[in-house]
This record gives sequence, C-alpha cells and structure tokens, in this order.
Amino acid sequence: MAHSALNEEQALVEGLKAGDEQSYKEAVRIHTPGMIAVARFYLDHSSAEEVVQDCWVTVIDAIHKFEARSGLATWLHRIVANRCKNRLRSTKREVSTDFSEALEPELGERFNARGRWELPPKLQFHDAGDTLMENGALSGCLDKHLSALPEAQRSALMLYEAHQHKSDDVCNILDVSASNLRVLLHRARQKIFLMVETFQETGEC
Amino acid sequence: MLMCRDLAVIASDYIDGELPVFQKMSVKMHLIMCKDCRTFIGNLRASTELMKTHSSGRADEELIRRIDERVAEALKEGPRDSTNRGP
Repeated sequence: MAHSALNEEQALVEGLKAGDEQSYKEAVRIHTPGMIAVARFYLDHSSAEEVVQDCWVTVIDAIHKFEARSGLATWLHRIVANRCKNRLRSTKREVSTDFSEALEPELGERFNARGRWELPPKLQFHDAGDTLMENGALSGCLDKHLSALPEAQRSALMLYEAHQHKSDDVCNILDVSASNLRVLLHRARQKIFLMVETFQETGEC
Repeated sequence: MLMCRDLAVIASDYIDGELPVFQKMSVKMHLIMCKDCRTFIGNLRASTELMKTHSSGRADEELIRRIDERVAEALKEGPRDSTNRGP
C-alpha cells in the first residue's frame, strides 16, 4: 500500500476506534463491495447482505483489537469469511464449485485436434486497460459480463485483481487451494477476453 | 512440445509469473515461434489490466443506507459484549 494510502487508512481506523459515525460511513462505502464479494462466494444474495450488515455492527467493538498486522480490507474480509463459514456449518451446507476445467469451453473449441489454433484471435487489444476503458460502451458491457460471472470467479477476481490481496490471503478468505484459485482467476479472465474480443470485432456486447 | 492449447491453459500463470522456470522457458520459446499465441497472451494481459481497473464493485446504495442506520443505532447503544470479537 502506498504511503499516503496507508496514512489515510490509519486515520480511518482511528476514527472507527473513536466511534466516529462519519468514519463508519466512509469505511462502509469503501469496504462493503469487497465484503459482499466474499460473502457471495459462500451464501445467497440476501444471506450475504445480512451477514455483511451484522459484521459492520461487530466491527464497532472488534476494531479495538485491530492491530494493523494486515490491511483493514483483509481484516474485514476475514471477519466476513468466518461468519459465512459458521453459518454454512450451522446449516450443514457446502460451497460447490467446479474446478475441473481450466479452459472456457468457448475458447477450448477454437483449437484443432493437434492442439493448434483453428480460430486464432484476429485483433490485438490495445495495450492498457485505461485505453480500452475510454470506450464508454465497452465499460457498460464489462459491467454486464462481470455481473454474469459465477460468484466464485467474481469473488476471486475482486479480491485478487481489484483489492490486490496476495494469493495466500485470497485462498484463506475463500477457503480454496492455490491451484483452485488459479483456475477461478483464469476462467474469469478468459470470459472477459472473449467478451472484449466479441466487442472489438462486432461492436456488440 | 508445448502446443497452443497447452499454452492457453497456463496463460494466466505465465502472466502472473507463477510458472516454474522450465515451463516458463517453454512458453517463451513457443511465443517466439507463434504469432497467434503472442496475440492471445497480449490480449489476455490487456483483459487482466482492464479488470484491475474495473472490478472493484460498486456499493448498492440501499444496502449502504441500511448499514449506516444499523451502525448509527449500535454506536448510540455504546459498547456491547466484548467476548465475541475479531476475525
């Protein structure tokens, strides 16, 4: 974390420890999307929202034990994950995710029997995400496709790419092995690759 | 010999620097010879960058409002039982 971001987080944590309502509002706005992503890995939509609400109330007392050994986001995500796991244990349910195929079927079909490209990628995407994002229509399309990702893939993607958690932290929070995390990330990236490709070739989402 | 399909399977591991040295060298050799795979890896990398900037998720305003209300109530009530705390 950059120095200024670290200072901002320290100030926020101090505000939370002091019970400052404005600091809670800020923290809730910043961290709730990530917490929902963790909870949705384990639970349905309404249960996930319920757990995240309960967690914020828990944080009011628990924050006094936060020692900044990890970032605030990691700490909050662990609280949510533990709550979700407890809830799953009490209802004797398990999260089932398919880790068997590393290739998206739509991409896998583009190779011939000898393993060479039958339908290779035709166009080169622009170099950086920022350039691609200048296209507003693509941004809307990306929103749509990210929402349509299976929950497990979206949770892994948010924690690893957007929140930049280390692999070990993501594995711990989502209770998946390192190899299964790699499968989730790779499947999600392929889906977005296929989406951008279609968009560039046809202009359609 | 590494084929294009094999490379597609391990492409994310290559991009993230998670491959063992020997496999990484095989990928590099393949990429020198295969333009299609170079395009694929470049495009997958661009897709990954795209998600870094776009996948942080947005707050559901109605949920945020409900949480703000519950937190405000809990803050007014003051400290509660301290035995059920921490991740």
